[in-house]
Parts: sequence; C-alpha cells; structure tokens
Amino acid sequence: MKKMRKKEILAMLLAGGQGSRLGALTKTIAKPAVSFGGKYRIIDFSLSNCANSHIDTVGVLTQYRPYLLNSYIGTGSAWGLDASNGGVSILPPYATETGGQWYEGTADAIFRNLNYIDLYDPKYVLILSGDHLYRMDYRQMLKCHKENNADLTISVMKVPMEEASRFGIMTADETGRIVKFAEKPKQPESDLASMGIYIFSKDVLKKALIEDSTDESSDHDFGKNIIPKLLAEDKRLFCYEFSGFWMDVGTISSFHETSMDLLEAEPKFDLDDEDFPIFSNENLSPPHYIGPDADIQESIVGNGSQIFGSVLHSVISVDSVIGKGARVKDSVLLPGATVEDGATVTRAILGENSVIRAGAVFGSEDPKEAIAVIGDDFIVEEGGES
Amino acid sequence: MERVIGIISANYETNDLGCLTQERTIASLPYGGRYRLIDFPLSNMVNSGISTVGLITPYKYRSVIDHIGAGKEWQLDRKNGGLFILPGSLFGVTSSEARFMIRDLKHNLVYLKRSMADYVVLTASDVVYNMDYREILEQHIQSGADITMLYHEAVEDAPHDLGLELDGNRVTSFLHGIKIGQNIFRGCFVISRQLLMNIVSWYNAVDFMDIFEALEPELGKMDVRAYRFGGYIRTINNIRDYYIHSMDLLKDDVRKELFSHENPIMTKVQDSVPSKYLSGCSVRNSLIPAGCVIKGTVENSILFRDVEVGEGAVVKNSILMQHCIVEPGAVVENAILDRNNVIKTWTVVKGSPDDVFVMDKKTRKSKE
Repeated sequence: MKKMRKKEILAMLLAGGQGSRLGALTKTIAKPAVSFGGKYRIIDFSLSNCANSHIDTVGVLTQYRPYLLNSYIGTGSAWGLDASNGGVSILPPYATETGGQWYEGTADAIFRNLNYIDLYDPKYVLILSGDHLYRMDYRQMLKCHKENNADLTISVMKVPMEEASRFGIMTADETGRIVKFAEKPKQPESDLASMGIYIFSKDVLKKALIEDSTDESSDHDFGKNIIPKLLAEDKRLFCYEFSGFWMDVGTISSFHETSMDLLEAEPKFDLDDEDFPIFSNENLSPPHYIGPDADIQESIVGNGSQIFGSVLHSVISVDSVIGKGARVKDSVLLPGATVEDGATVTRAILGENSVIRAGAVFGSEDPKEAIAVIGDDFIVEEGGES
Repeated sequence: MERVIGIISANYETNDLGCLTQERTIASLPYGGRYRLIDFPLSNMVNSGISTVGLITPYKYRSVIDHIGAGKEWQLDRKNGGLFILPGSLFGVTSSEARFMIRDLKHNLVYLKRSMADYVVLTASDVVYNMDYREILEQHIQSGADITMLYHEAVEDAPHDLGLELDGNRVTSFLHGIKIGQNIFRGCFVISRQLLMNIVSWYNAVDFMDIFEALEPELGKMDVRAYRFGGYIRTINNIRDYYIHSMDLLKDDVRKELFSHENPIMTKVQDSVPSKYLSGCSVRNSLIPAGCVIKGTVENSILFRDVEVGEGAVVKNSILMQHCIVEPGAVVENAILDRNNVIKTWTVVKGSPDDVFVMDKKTRKSKE
C-alpha cells in the first residue's frame, strides 16, 4: 500500500463500546454517539481534543451499532479533520483471507489495525476512549512523554481514595515512573487513576500487541494485559497527571448528574471556552423559540427547540418541543424529544425523538426514586408507558 | 428535470439600510438570529435541486465570501458544478429597482457559455422566502414564455419597487413604485440560457442598465409572464422592512414556513454552546440562537449568537446582533443593535415602534 506522509503522532479512538450501563440510551446507538450537553455527542469531546491538539490523523474504531456514529463523523469536517493526508478514518472490524472476527478487546482492536498505523509510520500513537467527557491538550502529554523518554505514558488523575477501587490504579515513584499497576484493586495503594488515555512509542506498542495477540490466556485488554506485560518487561512507563474535569458518564445517574451540573452558573465542566472549543456536527436548525407564556429558569436550550410551557433546571437539546402548560423539571431532553401540552416530566431523561403525550406524567420528585428514562423513539401515553 | 443553473445577484446597494450596510452588503445582512439574507436564495437553489450556482459579488464582497466560503454548508463544494464566484462590476447598480445589471452578466458570460443547462434561474439576494423554484420553472416551460417573473401582492406601499401590470399571467407593463395590493416583482425570474446570452449581446452598448430596464420597451414583443408565489415573501429594502420582517419570525406560521424541516435554510455553522438561562430570568416570545446567556428579561425580541443579557436588564421589541452585551440594569427597547455593542449598566437605549433606534457595528474588544 502507498505510504502516506509520515506523522509524528496519530490517535486511535476506541468507539466500539456499548456502554450497557446506560441502558435505554445505548439500546440503538454506541455510547460515544449518545447526545450530551444540548447539542453534542460524547465523541465530540475526544475528537475536539484531537483537533485542538493539532492531531490531524484519527482512526475511529467502531463495532457496536456503528451507523449513527459513522454518519455523524462523516468526513470529519465538523472537527476540521477532513484532510487528504490523514483526517478521520472509520475502522470497523474486517475480514481477511483467513476469515473475520469481532474486536475482542481494546488491545485486539488496535492490533487488527496495525496496518493503518503503519501507513503513517508515526513515532507515537495516542490511544483514547471515545466515551469520556474532558478537555485536554494532548500536546502537553506528548511533551511529557518525550521528556521522560518513555515507552508508554498514561494519563492519570487523583480520585478520592474511597472510589479508587473502581479504577485502574497506578503507583508511581517520585519521578512519575510507574512502579505498580492494579486494575480495580480492593485495597488501593494510591489514588492515581488511569483515565484510559495512553501515548505509546510506536515500536513498543507494535511489539507488545503482536506478542499479546498470540497469548491465548490474554483478554487482549490494555489495562488487564498490555500494561502489566510492559511493567514486567521493565519498560519505561510514566504518569501524566491531569487536573481538569474528566468524567466517564457510565451510568444513568452519573449522566443525569453531570448534565445537571452544566446548569450551574459556574459549572465544573464549562462547555464554553473560545480558546478550546468543543466542535460538533450540528444540524441546521433555526434559533430556538420561547413562546409568549413560557417560563424558563436555570436551563440550557439548543437550536431548533420550541418552548411554550415551563422549564426548570433542565437540559433541552436541539429540536425539542415543550407544549403549552407542560412542565419539565430536573430533566434532560435529548434531541428531538417532545413533551406535549400539559404533560409533566420530572427527574427524567427522554431519549432522542421520544414523546411524552399530552397530560402524561413521567418521573418523580422523590429523590429516592431512580431517574426515569425512556429510550430513543419511545412514546409515553397518558396513564403509562407504551 | 431540465438542466438548470442558478445566478444570484448581490451587486447592488442602498442607503436606506443605514449603518447596517456600512461594512457589509445587503446579501450578508444578518437575519433571523443566525442567518444572513443570502442564505435564503442560496438554500432555495440547492433545495430546488440546482447544484450549479453563480454568485455575482458586490463590490464590498468581503462579508459575503467570508460567509459562503466554498459553499460547503450548502453542499456546493462539488466536483461537478457547485458554487461559482462571478465578480460584479465596480459600479454596482444603485437604482432602487435594479437587481440584474447586464454588465455583470456580460463580464461573466463564460459561466453561461460553458454551461450545458437549458434554463437559468436568477434571483436577488434581499428577499426572504423559502421556495422550491421547480414551481416557477414548471410554469415557465409549460407556457413557453421567454421570461417568467416571480411576483406577490405587496403587503404595503413600496415606492421603490418594480411592479407588474398583468393580463392573465402575461406582463403587459412595468410599474415603478407600487401601492399595497399591487403585484410586486420579488427579484426572481426564469429564462432560457440562450435567450439570456442573446439579451446580453443585444444590449451590449447599454450594459449599465438593469435587464428589465432594457427590456421594458420590448414588453409588447416578448412573451414575458408572471408566476405568483403563494407563501411568505418579503423584500428587505430599508431599516423599517428589516425590523418588521425580522419580527415576523415571532409568528408561528411564518417561522414554520421559512424554517421548514424539508427544505432547511442553510447557513455557515458556528460552534457556539447551547444558550443558558439563569435563575431569575424572564423570557417571552423571543427567538434565541446558541451561545447566549440570559439573566434578565427578554421579550418580543430576536437575539443573535453570543449575546449576554445581564441581571435585571430588560430587552424588549429589539434585535441584538452577535456579541452584544446588555449589562445589569440596562434597558434596550425598540432598537437594533449591530454587532459587538455593549450597553453599560443602567443605560437606557430606546427607540419608538415607528422609528427604531439603530446602533452601528463596533469592533469586538479582544479578551483581557
């Protein structure tokens, strides 16, 4: 195959995960395609990070329900990533002369696309997860990787000790060199959690992946297999400590909580930053309209929405409709959701293009109750879900 | 469908839009919270299946080119056809009726010559409407007319517009300045490519004329017909038109028609965050795009992106363009604020419904 112009670094973005704990929200789409923040999809954050870090070659590995993700990414032009030498490439599982297989783990997915990496012959490979919310300039991390003359740099952040057992935990020496790694330890030794963001020197990555691919006992996972293997080989693994906002919206309640935080006057994760904008493949909706009898407080609203009722402390995504006399409180309406006249929605997440029929009541004020969720295209009739 | 290409003429000016067109042309006048006037004819072309569009640029073309670029948002960045920039002549027409100067077509004749199209749809760029040009094209082809002109009954007196005197759908004469209810030409016509090229060569000596000025004496000999557009269609000639027809967007039916889901009006996409409404704000009957932060009161108004309305501030019956800031306690009523205006705390900016106050565009201060 014809070689492309050599790149210093390229990114491999893992976007094949289902995100099964998001339940109804990922029934028909992959987690990176889930809408967030009124107009974005979760993958916008890592793609925008790449664009803002001047990384112009990004392979997006897809597997679970990829259609929406594929069409959303398109040519990558929305993120300035449509380049003739590089740009975004969608990398689904594929068949070869010996047959085809699904990606069997994060490391396996990258292993099967070593050809793609070789095409650009980069010095470094950045491996990302497409389902995290954060803003990060990967150039700082790369600088750190080079300064340490590292084989692998893992981005970490401090987490509360009591939560540390949910993460991959690093123990580092005073120079930042990782001496121990424990995946979800019961008794964590440190509070430095892996964010699933790795910069590998390419040759080290390639060798490790090739060796791992023949290891039948391996789960082909970066956390479980590749990192311990490199540590055992005494390779130079370093931490890069990140201190900003980072969130894996893995569950309905964390999705809801993170969405609600956007409504604060000074949110923990401020979407608005002119110097580091989050790009999205926006639709062409007109400005939103607030009707003559509407009441809206402590909310964010996307383009194309029409609001005639009352909205309190909610995320109203693009193209939503809230009818006359309807009341929406502490809720997240994903794109195209409709709350018809007189309906009430409280502490709920409404999937894309879902409908709450006139007069229906959905969700509960009671904080002990779980957040109410309906999936994309569902309809809730007055008197119950259908 | 017959092969059709489009031409949008943006090479004309007016003084009646005051400071709103001081640094931009009519075509790039911001409208409806996130659009510019040229988005309407350009999107109409594309939504009508016309994928080769020539744009006759005004002399002050910076703002238009900045907005349209290579035409990507309209899917006009194509290998075959797409957007063609046709430089307008230095002296754009200033006669109030003129939209299609023969010289602009003459200088860009190669665009017409190279085309294989049978017909050309020509439009002005100061008319707000959402229309499928296939309607007018169909009538044009079936009637066998030489030229078919788009019209609508004027909703108010228009002393500076071209009107059509009709016999059935035949145009018998032109009116210069029209009264409410008369037929007003809405700056769009269909003609065969060959006839358009012929007209350009016949009137070579008087190329400073508008095409309809030149053809007026020929109305008896040529088959010029009219097509009535039944939807919402308004021309933006002056500040009053701009204000009133912007406010039309607060009506549900106008908004629904202009911003149809099937035939969307496309525009340059920005990356503003969704708008934010904070505790204590009060917003009614207003059109608001992305990037705004509202803490005060906004009523019967149209905002553009990245506008801030501070605590206790009041914005009523007004149009605030991009990056305007209304500081806490300030009041803006019956006004049009062009880009980057900052209304200081407790300041009052007020016009009257019949004479709206217009504030010219400022330069945005760089961040401290």
